[in-house]
Amino acid sequence: MTTLLQLADVSFSYPGRTVFSGVSFDADEGEFIALMGPNGAGKSTLLDTITGLRRPNSGRITLLGRLLHEWRSNELARRVAHLPQSVRADVPFTVEQLVLMGRYPHGEGWFDSPADVAAAHASMHRTSCWEDRLRRFFTLSGGERQRVLLAACLAQDGKVCLMDEPSVFLDVDQQLRCFDLLAEESRNGKLCIVVTHDLNLALSYCSRLLILAGQRLAMDRSTADVRHASDWLGFFSNRLQLGETPDGKPWVWYQ
Amino acid sequence: MTTLRGDAQKKVSVCLAAFCLAAVVLPWVGPGPMHVRDTLNFQSMDSYIFRQLRVTRTLLGLFAGGALSLAGTLFQAVLRDALATPYTLGVSTGASLGAVVAISLGWSLVFGIPATWLGALAGAAAVLMVVMGVAARQRRISAFGLLLTGVAVNSVCASLILLLYSLAGVTRSFSISRWLIGSVDATSYGSLGVFALIVIVVSLLVIAQAKDWNLMAVDEQWAASRGVRVRSVLVNGYLSGSVLTAGAIALTGPIGFVGLIVPHMVRGRISSDHRILMPCSFFLGGVLLASCDALGRIVLAPAEVPAGVILALLGGPYLIWLVRERL
Repeated sequence: MTTLLQLADVSFSYPGRTVFSGVSFDADEGEFIALMGPNGAGKSTLLDTITGLRRPNSGRITLLGRLLHEWRSNELARRVAHLPQSVRADVPFTVEQLVLMGRYPHGEGWFDSPADVAAAHASMHRTSCWEDRLRRFFTLSGGERQRVLLAACLAQDGKVCLMDEPSVFLDVDQQLRCFDLLAEESRNGKLCIVVTHDLNLALSYCSRLLILAGQRLAMDRSTADVRHASDWLGFFSNRLQLGETPDGKPWVWYQ
Repeated sequence: MTTLRGDAQKKVSVCLAAFCLAAVVLPWVGPGPMHVRDTLNFQSMDSYIFRQLRVTRTLLGLFAGGALSLAGTLFQAVLRDALATPYTLGVSTGASLGAVVAISLGWSLVFGIPATWLGALAGAAAVLMVVMGVAARQRRISAFGLLLTGVAVNSVCASLILLLYSLAGVTRSFSISRWLIGSVDATSYGSLGVFALIVIVVSLLVIAQAKDWNLMAVDEQWAASRGVRVRSVLVNGYLSGSVLTAGAIALTGPIGFVGLIVPHMVRGRISSDHRILMPCSFFLGGVLLASCDALGRIVLAPAEVPAGVILALLGGPYLIWLVRERL
């Protein structure tokens, strides 16, 4: 059986500026990975290259044993769902229309099939935006918009879910629900890679932490492995301490 | 709950019915009464006027209005800009320049075809080649690149038109300004047939990609990561929008407003889904232009008011009202 996703020595640079180089890792189904690092470290760019939105300057990305750029665009979109950091807010579509767009790579015809509609409805229920389905996207708040985009990605039903800061703008309860959902997806055999700045959400939910810093993949360790070492906190800030909650879970707090 | 398919069928067929109704009713509108019995008598003068002037004018208005308004919808989606019209990307100004060159040179007929038509098509083609040439040099074709090139081409062509206008003699500068106002004139059935065929084929190609345009209207990246082939959709959209615009402008002169007002009306009142928006814009744009032309025939009869003038006079206030309603 082949590994779901493999990156080998992947580098990306803009003219005159290297974003990252030599990034290699394998990831398999059922994993829930947090991709972290300081601002501008290239986290979003890395997700973009895995989605096929940007071609890396060198290195190889393999999905299900086949090079990424050899996939046809709609075949790839059926397997990789990407949640962007944001889309334009003044979109004239309703919530339901936007979520149905997630079914685009599955739809053969000009109209949405009953199966597409059913999948879109199911994911609207899961992200609690069913009530808003007939509202126009531009009338929603930032957090509500984020949930709609998340619903569209769930409806896309890719084997790989790449989420660029899915919990941004969400209230605390919705952040937890969002990570609950992604954990459920990975238990159902999907690979979820999520960009987040929230160390405690990552420690509580994810199975593995990747840190991009200094133009390279600075750390790739399992969450179980980093519980008792605090050296990695230095990638984020020197004011962080690793402690424990009353029930023994790791918890990062700051001074 | 209504499905999209049922909803689309209902809305598009109502707009199609309006289009067909306009084709049947509008030829009867004009200065002076026209009797059905005389019209049906093929030997009579009334019948000749009806068949050669009124019917061709109405059909030209319907297809040109449809083409311009579908092109407007398309360019608004390409640029994701509410103010985009067939004018924004420079093609129509290029077409105008071509026609103005033909008028200034005093050409009227070339191989039996009106020289303004050939001039307009050549002008549009030249702009297309410039803009696509610039775009192809960039690593990827972006809507922003198309827009900037279009704006630059627009201002160059506009000043060349002014230059030719000021150099032309009195008679020719009158024909130039007359052409630039834009009007729907009677044409031969032959050229009407060629034009309608091109418009129908290109419009069907555009509407076939309506689902892609929904995603493009959100975001290029959003579309790309859902499997839309962004580059080819953009190029198709730009090329077909340009063909529709150039064809319509060659026959009617620049009537741009229809491409701004109809898409906004349909988006606000009927649907923002391009699968409904595109066909409805086509049909209603045709109805609007043909109706403005019919109105222009009677409002100051026996003088005729060009359709472009009526359209801007009615359309401007309506657009302002529409904007106020939605804010």
